[in-house]
Amino acid sequence: MLSDQAHANELTGRFPRQAFVSIVIFCVLWEIMSRLSPSLGIPPFAIPSFVRIGESLMKITPLDVIVTLARVIGALVLSFVGGVVIAMGMYRSPSLENYLHPLVRILMAVPVVSWILFAVLWFRGVEFRIAFVLIAVCGPVFLVDALDAMRGVSKDLRGMMRSFRPTAFQYFTKLMFPAILPSLITSWKINLSLAIRVVTIAELVGAVTGIGHQLAVAQELFSVADVFAWTLVLVVLLFLLEALLVRFEARVLRWRA
Amino acid sequence: MNATMSTTKSEPTAIEVENLRKVFRQATTGQSVVAIDRLSLHIAPREVVAIVGQTGCGKSTFFDMMIGLEQPSEGAIRINGKTPYADFDAFRGKMATVFQQDRLLPWRTSYDNARLPLELMGVDEKIQRERAMHWLKRLGLENFANAYPHELSGGMRQRVAIARAFVLQPDILLADEAFGHLDEVTAAELRSTFLALARECGSTAILITHQLEEAIAVGDRIVVFGKSAKLLADIHVAQWKPEDYGLLREAIQATLQSNSPDARLIRAP
Repeated sequence: MLSDQAHANELTGRFPRQAFVSIVIFCVLWEIMSRLSPSLGIPPFAIPSFVRIGESLMKITPLDVIVTLARVIGALVLSFVGGVVIAMGMYRSPSLENYLHPLVRILMAVPVVSWILFAVLWFRGVEFRIAFVLIAVCGPVFLVDALDAMRGVSKDLRGMMRSFRPTAFQYFTKLMFPAILPSLITSWKINLSLAIRVVTIAELVGAVTGIGHQLAVAQELFSVADVFAWTLVLVVLLFLLEALLVRFEARVLRWRA
Repeated sequence: MNATMSTTKSEPTAIEVENLRKVFRQATTGQSVVAIDRLSLHIAPREVVAIVGQTGCGKSTFFDMMIGLEQPSEGAIRINGKTPYADFDAFRGKMATVFQQDRLLPWRTSYDNARLPLELMGVDEKIQRERAMHWLKRLGLENFANAYPHELSGGMRQRVAIARAFVLQPDILLADEAFGHLDEVTAAELRSTFLALARECGSTAILITHQLEEAIAVGDRIVVFGKSAKLLADIHVAQWKPEDYGLLREAIQATLQSNSPDARLIRAP
C-alpha cells in the first residue's frame, strides 16, 4: 500500500528525494560491480559500465521508439473503443452479458505467450499480429472495468437522468461516460504498463522494427549494454506516458474533492 | 364541502389516477407485495398537493410511477391526457423533479447542473445560459455558478436541484422529500421559495413528504396515504383556519397511526 506521501507524489507527478537517492545508490553499486567484475570472474560484457551504456543510448534509433509507441497507442485506442462499446452492449442487454461474460473470463485467463503463438500461427502480417496480441490482452481489461463502472453508477443519478427523458446517446454521454471516466483512466494506467510489456514480447518474436526487435538484436550480439539502454528507453517511455495520463486525469477529474 | 372529497371529474384535471395498482414480486421469496392498491386521485391544474404517509406506504413507488420510471400493474395515471410510462418521451421538458437528495452530477458545476434539462432538450446555448443563470440568481446562487457540488453546502446543493427543475418552467413539478434532510431553517426557507416559484410558473405540483408541518405549509391539498397507498384522507387546506393547523396536524397524525380516517378530518371546524 502506498504511503500518504508516496500517493501525493504520484498524484502531483513530483519525484521524491528518497527515490532519487535510491536510484543514485543503485547506479553507484552497479558501477562498482562493473569495475570489480573482471577480478570476480564475471565476464566484462555482463555488467557494462555506465560509459558503455551511455554509448548504447547514443545509438538508440528514434524510429524504433516511435514504431513501438505507435503500436501501443494504436492498439490501446482500439481496445478501449471496442471494450467500452461491448461493455455498453452487455450493460444494456443482460442476455448478451450472459453469453459474453464467460468468454471474456476465458480470454483474460489465456497467457500472453499463447496469444503470441496464436498470432504467429494464424496471421502473416507483423503489424496485424502485434495488434491482435495487444487487443486480446488489453481489450478485456477495458471491457470488464467499464462494465463494472457502469454497474456502479448510482441508481439515484440514473433515476434523475431518466426523469428528464434523455435520448440513449445523451444518457451515455451526459451521465454514463463522465461517471465511469475515473475507472476508465485507471484502466488506461493498468493497460499502459501491460501493453508496453506485451508489445516488447510480441516484437521480440515477430517484428523487424520496434524496441522489442532491437532487444532481440542486442541479445543476439550478447550486448548487455544495449539491452540495458533499450530497457531504459522502455521504462522512461512508460513513465512519460503515465505522467501524461496523470496530467490528463488531474485536468478532467478536477471536480473531485 | 366535505374535507375528504377530491377534485371532481367535472373540474379540469391535470393529473388523473384511476384505480392504480402496483404489485412487486420479491426476488428472494417470490411472494407478491402490493405497494399501491386501487388508488384513485384527481388533481386540478396549478394545484399544489402534498402527499403524506408513513415509511413504506407506497409514496415513493407512486412517485416513480408519476415520473414514468415504473409501469402500473393495473389502472392508469394520466397527466394532461397522457400516461407517463407509455408516453414517456411526451413529457420531455414538461415534467421536472426534485429528489430527496440533490442528485447533482458531481462533475458539473452549479451552472452546468442547472442547465442540464435544457441541454437535453437541445435548447440554444444562449437561452440555456440566460435561463440557468436567471434561476440560479433567483435562488441566490449567482456567485456559485462555477462551484462544483462538493464545494457547496447541503442547502445550496438542493437550491441548485430546484433551479435545475425550474429552468424547464414545467407543467408538472414533482418533489420527493425534497427538504426532509435539511435543517429546519433551511428547509422552511427552501419550502417557501419552492412554493412561490411553483405558483409563479403555474405548475401543478405534487410534493411527497413525511413532515406534516411541511405538508400544511405547502399544500393546497393534503392527501394522506395509508398502507399500500390507501387513500385515507384528501384535505383542502384552505378550509382550515391557520389557528386550527395544530388540530389538523393531530388529526392527520391520528389517521396515519390508526390507518383509518380520523373523524376530525371529515369536516373542517
